[in-house]
Amino acid sequence: MSEKDKSAAADSESGLEWAKLWQTMAESSKGMLQAWSGSMAPFMLARLSEKPAGFGDGNELSAAIERMAQGPRLADFWDIDRKMALAFAAWIEMRQRLASYNAVAAAPWTEASKRFFETMSAATAGGTPHPDWREAFAKWSEISNEELIRNQRTDGFLQAQKALLQAGLQLRSRQDDVAEAASAMFGLPSRKDFDDVTRQLTELRREVRALTRQVRDHRIEGAR
Amino acid sequence: MSDQENQASRFARDIAANAEKMFKATQLFANTRDEDVAIGTTPKHLVMRRDKVELFHYEPMAEATARTPVLLAYGLIGRYTMADLQPDRSLVRSLLSKGLDLWLIDWGQPGRTERWLTIDDYVDDYIDAAVDRIAEETGHDRITLLGICEGGVFTTCYAALHPEKVKNLVITITPIDFHADVKDKAAHHGFLNIWTRSLGPEDVDKLVDTYGVLPGEFMSSVFSMMTPMRSLTKYNVDLIDVVDDEAKFMNFLRMEKWLADRPHHPGEAAKQWLKDLYQENRLVDGSFELSGRRVDLKSITAPVLNVFALDDHIIPPDCSRALGAKIGSTDYTEIPLPGGHVGLFVSSKSQGKLSQSIADWLVARDGTIGSEV
Repeated sequence: MSEKDKSAAADSESGLEWAKLWQTMAESSKGMLQAWSGSMAPFMLARLSEKPAGFGDGNELSAAIERMAQGPRLADFWDIDRKMALAFAAWIEMRQRLASYNAVAAAPWTEASKRFFETMSAATAGGTPHPDWREAFAKWSEISNEELIRNQRTDGFLQAQKALLQAGLQLRSRQDDVAEAASAMFGLPSRKDFDDVTRQLTELRREVRALTRQVRDHRIEGAR
Repeated sequence: MSDQENQASRFARDIAANAEKMFKATQLFANTRDEDVAIGTTPKHLVMRRDKVELFHYEPMAEATARTPVLLAYGLIGRYTMADLQPDRSLVRSLLSKGLDLWLIDWGQPGRTERWLTIDDYVDDYIDAAVDRIAEETGHDRITLLGICEGGVFTTCYAALHPEKVKNLVITITPIDFHADVKDKAAHHGFLNIWTRSLGPEDVDKLVDTYGVLPGEFMSSVFSMMTPMRSLTKYNVDLIDVVDDEAKFMNFLRMEKWLADRPHHPGEAAKQWLKDLYQENRLVDGSFELSGRRVDLKSITAPVLNVFALDDHIIPPDCSRALGAKIGSTDYTEIPLPGGHVGLFVSSKSQGKLSQSIADWLVARDGTIGSEV
């Protein structure tokens, strides 16, 4: 194999590694988005399988990774691994916040169930026939809605949701750091570059339009 | 047959009937193409394009009843198509049929490219340019503004900063006092206000800086949370109710299409919206600034019509009502209408009430017959 071929093979291997990395990041981003946007329905099922207490170890792990990755920076070594480690720690943290949020968000279902069964029992007391499914479902929906909305306004819910949002943003931000490093490696413009360009474009446009208005206003003044 | 057997038999019948309806729903979905679900169809033509923002002029549908052109401005959360969902549920079509000369400013689909745009740009550049263009096209030196939701805030700010260009100001479901939700006793009202205040300003910055925008999907999830059971049942139990009626099924799909079309909110403008207004309530206390100028609501001297929905869970009525006490105009009218934030525009019950209120109010002040120019 020639030197050129070897170099091409190395590039291809490196490309494959990055492809895997992208896939992992895309999957974790998707997971976070799903967790956030489907914030109500999945909890009824998820709470049965999630064990929030089991994430205690995860917190220690993410703290250890944070400590390691936040150590002194070296000029020519370890930077990409450090970014990856920080993204991983953020993922663990986000999972933990999600579990806490799930626990808080699931709480009203217990009260809703209790109220619903009490209501149904009262309605059918004394031999009154059971309501049809629509009537029963409408009552269930009304009670659940009240309980869910009540829960949303509690400090516990708002704080859990805020913590989940913060953790999700931290994860996304650290994924972006990895993406920036990848872009730099392949000589591609990054999001930061794009933001810089659009900022300059927006500011330039404002200046041009302000000047255009000034010229127009001068003309109007002159014509009077 | 015993009660228990009766119940079991009824349960089995219901299950079978619902299974059949869900099968029918599946078939309906399979046989409907996205292009069959048309929204925002009232005829209009493009007059001006500025970046991604477009100014349209609607084709007239009746003899003119009001003199001054009306510029419709929706907000940046969601799109104007809510006001033109379908021919029989369209504020736009209804106003045209009542003889108004209607123009539309469409913000398009902002993305990361629009990250740095501020509310200053939307009010002092895009709306101002649209007003100037309409004035140029029609010969009027003042225009009537019709703002919806966040668009109502933009038009209110414009009317305060450029009173010489505004003939009338009509706002609908518009928040002015962003902290007035605390007065509202309805438990399902004002979650957006509470949720925004539960965040720190640094959280808003981080959200926008991370995504470059306020993501449309993110706002959709917040809105879904505000009607939790409705969000859980709309694709199953609720669907059973519409599946036998094609018209209802198509209404459902049009609404879904509008909900799905939620563009990203430009980043810096989102920071102003969430921090300056929702968190710090600067518009009502007079400290909100655009283009280096304080937005003084007392500077609004044009006649003002403020329409809000009594069961608006997104913008509680008291948040809208606050405008009356803050403006300089002596001609101020409030019209509270039954319905919710979106229902005011799209429900069959409210059709006609909103447009009739607006048209009557405008014609009384700006009619082609018997009023001053």
